[in-house]
Amino acid sequence: MTLRDLVLVRLGVAVNLVIGQIVAALLLPVYLDSVGTILVAALIGPRAALTAGLVSQVLNAVISGNFSWLPFALVQVVIALYAAAAARLGLFRRLATAVPAGVGMGFLAAACSAPISFFLFGGVTAGGVTVVTTVLRALGAPLGVAVAAASFSTDLLDKAIACALVCLLLRSLPRTLAARFPALAA
Amino acid sequence: MIGYLPGRSPLHRAHPYTTLALAGALLLGAFALTQPREVWLLVAAAAVFSAVGGVLRASARTALLLSLPIWVLLFVLHGLLGADPRTTVGPVALSVPGMARALVLGGRVTAIVLGFLTALATVSPHRLVEAMTAGGVPFGRTFLLASTLTVLPRMRERATQILEAQQCRGLRLGGSPLARLRALGPLALPLVLGALAEVDEQVLALDARGAGSAARRTALDPPADSAAQRALRAALLVLVIAAYAWKFWSMRG
Repeated sequence: MTLRDLVLVRLGVAVNLVIGQIVAALLLPVYLDSVGTILVAALIGPRAALTAGLVSQVLNAVISGNFSWLPFALVQVVIALYAAAAARLGLFRRLATAVPAGVGMGFLAAACSAPISFFLFGGVTAGGVTVVTTVLRALGAPLGVAVAAASFSTDLLDKAIACALVCLLLRSLPRTLAARFPALAA
Repeated sequence: MIGYLPGRSPLHRAHPYTTLALAGALLLGAFALTQPREVWLLVAAAAVFSAVGGVLRASARTALLLSLPIWVLLFVLHGLLGADPRTTVGPVALSVPGMARALVLGGRVTAIVLGFLTALATVSPHRLVEAMTAGGVPFGRTFLLASTLTVLPRMRERATQILEAQQCRGLRLGGSPLARLRALGPLALPLVLGALAEVDEQVLALDARGAGSAARRTALDPPADSAAQRALRAALLVLVIAAYAWKFWSMRG
């Protein structure tokens, strides 16, 4: 990776960790903690996105003090690789393709996170998802079904919004700034 | 949250890799163990680890605060909503297998959190960077881990400024979910676009300081390592592999 790639990866990690502040101010029921990873994937490529995702996971643990969520780093790997492939196909150029790409990403992310959540943590993870799991369990759904349903419902919405936001970001880039990212021209 | 707490304990004086290896072994061990008694022995091991570092009080308090919400959710999801058979404790009927599972899962999270909080409190970030540099870790990796933490407060401050500025211009943060979603763009776009515009300036500044050089760097004050510490790290690796081998062998049986 070049020095410029490193600085961009650092930016992606910072976006992943700070965007939660805006989401919390708006009281949105999502995390958007992969916006930076998706952005780096679109601007540079898969290797840089993978680094951004994994470093975000580690630093998030350092900042929050909760290191038990480290196994979810696997989800960041999936998101980074999928986002790089989607960017290569030009899916972030228009909202009409970015949102379905986000739904696909959410599907894959949930397919990875639900088994981790179920087998390693018994379905108890971050607040919002676990509340949905508990409500579904109280309604009589088996634990596995409740965990999967909670993961899919939150991840589909979260990643669809994240991809739409990255699409808006790329479209809002001034031409002089966009010209500095050869991956955008590809 | 807990950060680095200066001290002279054996963990403070140990090579940073040794302390991190101990915390890592607790994490991997926690996922290998499946019986309540085994997991609680691991929690005890994490407490001993913390006591050796002289940070048991601070780490245990923070670990309890962080794992308490998880304990509550585990109690509801597994203890109250778990499978039969049930036992009555006061006014509630608790699931017996659910409570056993909650004890394993809660103990697992508590051991991991306590172990890593101890590592955070006893490993000086400066010594870690020095150890990584002396170990030949490429500049890029140390840069990413160390410098991102210093960038975060600035980025958070900028997010707050944008939030206040947009509110002054009439942006409403409340309303329907769709209205709040629409407000996301005016808040997130300036934050990220502003940071992107500064990238080239930061690259120039780093390049001027020789950050782009591929030459191996010399650590100014590398932490001392020893054969005993290297042996301990190797033994921890063997122990973790043995724990997983035992787990999978038990599952087959």
